[in-house]
Amino acid sequence: MPKGMFVDTTICIGCKACQVACKQWNVLPGEPADFRVDPAEKIPVAANFTGDSYDNTADLTGTNWRRVRFIEQFPENRVGGRWLISSDSCKHCNDAGCLNACPTGALVRTDLGNVVVRQDVCIGCKYCLPSCPFGVVAFSHLTGTARKCTLCDERIHNGLGTACAKACPTGSIAYGEVAELKKKADARLAKLKSLGHGKANIYGYKEAGGLNVFYLFNDAPSVYGQPEKPDVPQGRLVVSSAVTVAGAVAVGMAALVAFREQGQSGSEGEEVEK
Amino acid sequence: MSPVTHAPGWEWFYIGLYFFFGGVSAGAYFIGSLAEFFGGGRHRGISRAAFYIAFPILLVTPPLLIGDLGQPLRFWHLLFDARSGFPYVNLSSPMSVGSWALVLYGAMAFLSFLDNLVAEGKLDFAPFARVYGRVPRKVYAAVGSAAGFFIAGYTGVLLNVTARPLWALTDPLVGALFIASASSTGAAAIYLVMKWRRIHPGPELEEFERFDRIVKILEIALAIAIVIAAGKYAGVLFRGPYAVMFWGGAILLGTLVPLATNWYAHRPGRHVQSESAAILMACLVLLGGLLLRISLVQAGQL
Repeated sequence: MPKGMFVDTTICIGCKACQVACKQWNVLPGEPADFRVDPAEKIPVAANFTGDSYDNTADLTGTNWRRVRFIEQFPENRVGGRWLISSDSCKHCNDAGCLNACPTGALVRTDLGNVVVRQDVCIGCKYCLPSCPFGVVAFSHLTGTARKCTLCDERIHNGLGTACAKACPTGSIAYGEVAELKKKADARLAKLKSLGHGKANIYGYKEAGGLNVFYLFNDAPSVYGQPEKPDVPQGRLVVSSAVTVAGAVAVGMAALVAFREQGQSGSEGEEVEK
Repeated sequence: MSPVTHAPGWEWFYIGLYFFFGGVSAGAYFIGSLAEFFGGGRHRGISRAAFYIAFPILLVTPPLLIGDLGQPLRFWHLLFDARSGFPYVNLSSPMSVGSWALVLYGAMAFLSFLDNLVAEGKLDFAPFARVYGRVPRKVYAAVGSAAGFFIAGYTGVLLNVTARPLWALTDPLVGALFIASASSTGAAAIYLVMKWRRIHPGPELEEFERFDRIVKILEIALAIAIVIAAGKYAGVLFRGPYAVMFWGGAILLGTLVPLATNWYAHRPGRHVQSESAAILMACLVLLGGLLLRISLVQAGQL
């Protein structure tokens, strides 16, 4: 029975307790402020301070496996604006691009449906990075391997929930059986719709074969920085290979035309060698 | 295709160079094999030159591939399961299949290299000649050209089958483009080796050049198709160093100038191309092939 998380972004308050809990449980170091000298700035500003609302990670990285995104929607006159806040992480896709791309078998899916990079197997080839349509997997220069959220693999295999869900003070991140969570999500969506939130939608039922970590958004997924149609790249592998073979055949035909034009038969050549 | 994806951070001096050297080696090898297969022994000068260059160039590539890894000492995990030690392959991963293809291709290139040395009397190793000679040459040529085509093309599939916008949008054309580029750079390498070994192939050079012209036209057509397919994500190829590398290096110097020079040398009433010009053109083709790989690998990561 796959385990997963339901992230109800409509009740997220942006406290980042999930980010802290994730870092603590997974022993992920903080990033030192990087005061690079930028000639465009009059005063030294840390290059890794985002300056983008309250976002302090900017991206999912080898040491930031959870990222609270802040989307400020305010018109010029500051009337009727709103905050959209969403805690983002690996979605543990059922059709996982990273898992399909891994050449070493370092990426595995466990019996609970979560996708894990085995740190002692990963060689750091980085092919899983561009293969993830959500931009989740990242390379860590500290370990020389690809790293990402494991859905707290060792916790969930010992009967505990994920660290982020445990720390979440509003219940925005809920851990459990995916089937149970879907019931909860559907009920919450119906409630929001009845309250007049017409744009509310659940992200992750059909994307990438279904996401074990799925979201309730109050606007289009792209507003929250998620791809509207995530592209699991290996779906194109057969066509891509076939066209490449056609290219090889075309070059082979060119060779046939070029090397056989004189009308001589191959047998003459065999004699030359002998 | 989505704009939020992560770039792998592959360095041009590792992965870009590997794509280039792998392409030159594989291109030379499949041209040599095809010349052997279709031309019988008439083109042995070409195939000998090809097999002399394919294996030594291939030897450059493992350090490049291993150097880019975050954990270089674990490179063997590409071929063998880290826990059980059994051979491992992931059929949905071009990198995994490509690793095994490199092993097969390396073995083929090594055999052909040894065969060259034995046949030309540079290496006295009678048992090898006896065992190698048991299998008909056409079989080596067929398997060798298939392996060469795979090595030349899989790198393009590897780029296409990702979620990076430029690489995903140009799917499924990059594999075919890299095969065409491997053909022209492989042909250039063969030509340089023949010049270096002072082999003057006479009439068969005409056929060799005809092949080269066809694949260069194919290469230009595919490169233009790729720019069109990439749509707005092709913009990077029109700016700064990428415009210089892609249009100036890969397209102009790597294909158009050598093509034009070749046509000019063969215009009616003239049959000889200046040798130094031909050598310069071969060097330009190689430079163009290198810049093509670097520009596409790096532009896709921006």
